Amino acid sequence: MNKPGFLKSLSWGGDLTLRSLSFFYVGLLIILPIAAITLEALRGGLGSLWRNILTPQAIYAIKLTFLTAFFMVVLNVITGTATAWVLVRYRFPLKNLMNALIDLPFAIPTVVTGIMLVALYGPKSILGGFLNKQGIEVVFDKPGIILALMYVSFPFVVRAVQPVLQEMDLDMEEAAKTLGASSFTIFRRIVVPTIIPAILTGAALSFSRAIGEFGSIAIISGNIPFKTQVASVYIYGELESYNQQGALGLSVALLFCSFLILVFLNRLQVWSRKHEQIQ
Amino acid sequence: MKKMWIILCILVFVLIFCKGEKVTEESGEVTITLGAYTVPKEAYEKEVIPAFKKFWLDKTGQSVRFEESYIASGAQSRAIASGFEADIAALSLEQDVERLRDIGLITHDWKSRKYNGFVTRSVVVIAYRVGNPKNIRNWQDLTREGVEVLYPNPKTSGGAMWDVNAIYGAGLKLSLGEKGIQDKDFAFQLLKSVQRNVKVMDRSGRASVTTFENGIGDVLITYENEVLLRRKEGRNMEYVIPEATILIENPIAVIDQNVDKHGNRPAVEAFVDYVLSVDSQRNFARYGFRPVNAEVAAEFQEQFPTPMLLFDIAFLGGWDRVQNEIFGTEGVWAKIIEELVYE
Amino acid sequence: MNRSNEMVKVIRQQRRLGKNILVAAVVIWFFFMILMPVFGIIREAFREGLDVFIAALTAPESIHSFVLTLWITMATVVINTVFGIILAITLVKQRFRGKLFVEGIVDLPFAVSPVVAGFMFILLFGPRGWLGSWFEAGGIKIVYALPGMLIATLFVTLPFVAREIIPVLKEFGLQQEESAYVLGASKWQTFWKVTLPSVKWGLAYGITLTIARSIGEFGAVLVVSGSIINKTQTATLHIHQQFTDYNYVGAFSAAIILAVASFIILTTMQRIYRQKGVD
Repeated sequence: MNKPGFLKSLSWGGDLTLRSLSFFYVGLLIILPIAAITLEALRGGLGSLWRNILTPQAIYAIKLTFLTAFFMVVLNVITGTATAWVLVRYRFPLKNLMNALIDLPFAIPTVVTGIMLVALYGPKSILGGFLNKQGIEVVFDKPGIILALMYVSFPFVVRAVQPVLQEMDLDMEEAAKTLGASSFTIFRRIVVPTIIPAILTGAALSFSRAIGEFGSIAIISGNIPFKTQVASVYIYGELESYNQQGALGLSVALLFCSFLILVFLNRLQVWSRKHEQIQ
Repeated sequence: MKKMWIILCILVFVLIFCKGEKVTEESGEVTITLGAYTVPKEAYEKEVIPAFKKFWLDKTGQSVRFEESYIASGAQSRAIASGFEADIAALSLEQDVERLRDIGLITHDWKSRKYNGFVTRSVVVIAYRVGNPKNIRNWQDLTREGVEVLYPNPKTSGGAMWDVNAIYGAGLKLSLGEKGIQDKDFAFQLLKSVQRNVKVMDRSGRASVTTFENGIGDVLITYENEVLLRRKEGRNMEYVIPEATILIENPIAVIDQNVDKHGNRPAVEAFVDYVLSVDSQRNFARYGFRPVNAEVAAEFQEQFPTPMLLFDIAFLGGWDRVQNEIFGTEGVWAKIIEELVYE
Repeated sequence: MNRSNEMVKVIRQQRRLGKNILVAAVVIWFFFMILMPVFGIIREAFREGLDVFIAALTAPESIHSFVLTLWITMATVVINTVFGIILAITLVKQRFRGKLFVEGIVDLPFAVSPVVAGFMFILLFGPRGWLGSWFEAGGIKIVYALPGMLIATLFVTLPFVAREIIPVLKEFGLQQEESAYVLGASKWQTFWKVTLPSVKWGLAYGITLTIARSIGEFGAVLVVSGSIINKTQTATLHIHQQFTDYNYVGAFSAAIILAVASFIILTTMQRIYRQKGVD
């Protein structure tokens, strides 16, 4: 698209103002602070940074964080897509109410979420006591972590997929049905490709939320090193004790990872959108 | 139209930066900013501060405004070190105050104040379920199989450091009594066996009390004043003071740099003196803190029995040594955590 | 003929059964996962009766914390909206080196753990910090005061508006502006009458998320504010203080207010979204 005329007409002071304001905004709020912690983390040199990140405790925390986040995202994608599907395609009593309540987890402060989940699934509760007898420990163990992560990220996938499903043209599906395709095939061949970008968006948001989630996890996870300690809580512990460098080093590393994932998923979205348009 | 929006935006910005400084002091009023740890909040808020306000008003006719913050001791120390302009630091650990002296915020010898700069004392105790179903009497009982132990994470909770010190020191003290020497291996094994039974390590002492009250664990290692406070609030918490345990001493210090900047030294010094006075000490005792004032301690003797093998941080070599030997990256606690992974 | 009719009936019944099972599964799952914790919060808040509930809410620290949260949220919305639009326009309409980089880092706040975020700003704006030393010399307090809390909140909510507007602008913006400009509209007129309306849905959604997140922000503000009672305690920090003081009614009652407020905002968004469908 070539618009030399319009762009040329924009080249006066106002443009520069916009650009400098943007740089000021992004620079002050994002670039500078992150540069600050990166430099602070590197203060002892790259070698010591590596050593700090690669302590056994930190490595375990990272592994646990990514593992629980991954499981949560998988669960979230399944349940979120199912929920979106049900909300868009079917009619049932109290549907509008449920639709309105989907965003509830966003409305509740994370600390409160953690406390409520402990009260609901802890050993003193009906549900928790029952599960305990079956040998399943929910709170203060890994299931609890996944539970809390699911709760705080639940709306991401649903709200990402819903609008796409809503806008879908049903003609193709009808056509496929008359040609004899089973529901499953229709779902697999027509619906899924359409909603994949949305699912990926929801997944990416859930994942990055999960990596950084602190408030609820600090309460429900048990925080035993090498057992139930996730990265955000480990970092907090190191910050609070005298290992600032280690904490910052790990944060920067995690940040970098999450950032790469976000960029990758962004590219994937753009690619699949282009791909879809070509079709 | 355009001009209106620009003016509106500027107004918003101006409003923002003014709001922060909006608090105006009426003439004849002085403000004291207190940076404390979480545990003494009730005592300060409900008794000591109101009493001091009245005392100062009667004495000088000046009214006092207090700004208070009660967060974890380490976090508070860090906050003050990085810019929180507290006039007084009332923290859990001596080293949290020392840090402020190291960076120059405190320029006087705070330990030369009455009572070595401490304002309250306590001991580490073991709380158990009502009726003591697992028959807990001392630290060794915590190493039995099937006993689930709670205490907070020493990395985030100053109080937890006291707890760990208590167990390790008890090991040393007990072996001293039996074998005549401090057996570090014995202490190490004792701490390790207890840590093995630890179910949850909460972020702070208060959080671990809450977890215990939520039904988790058989045993909670915490400070005596926490238990006494809960009992005061109507909770039925039963506990035992182990034979060998550590004496907790909580420091209070005036932060010279901030006080000189605010110009409220007379009121601040008066407050610290007041906190160490007999009346305040009695108030603290009522909230479960062991007083530093000997006279008041004698009054509350029954409530605060003295354990037979009580020791203090000096027995362990002082905070610097403890910070290194026990909590350092190669320290006792870190080794225990690692060893427990490979079990 | 009869047999194929019957087969169709059986297939239809199976489909309906499948649909009903799916709906039931989703609803039950939603009820247990999302709603039950909320009921738990309500029960705990009213555990000691209505008067204790009201007393807790009307305590001076409580009211102060709500006002503070309200104030920070409003300021955050205004600033992030204004600058978000500026940033979006710059990114979409201008070409400059490093444009992709800037676009990428807009998502960065999602990847940063809140505790680390708070720490970043202490590092940057503390009296000994990179920028803080200048403010300190001028007698302006940033950290452990309102400005620092505002900055931290701006950081964690930054992506919301930007992310919503940028893709929309990319898809729709330029053509209409071109026409408007060709027809003689000034830059400002073009902006107000063409650009802004084209992004209004994305903007509304972004603002809604900003509000919800800002109300619930905890980790970063905890670190940056010092939690000074009646001075730098937001509603979430107040809840945290209440928990620490064993005042569960106080904590949960405040949590309900926050949840209700956020929820109202989110459902308003839902209604707007439905309007969009109508448009």
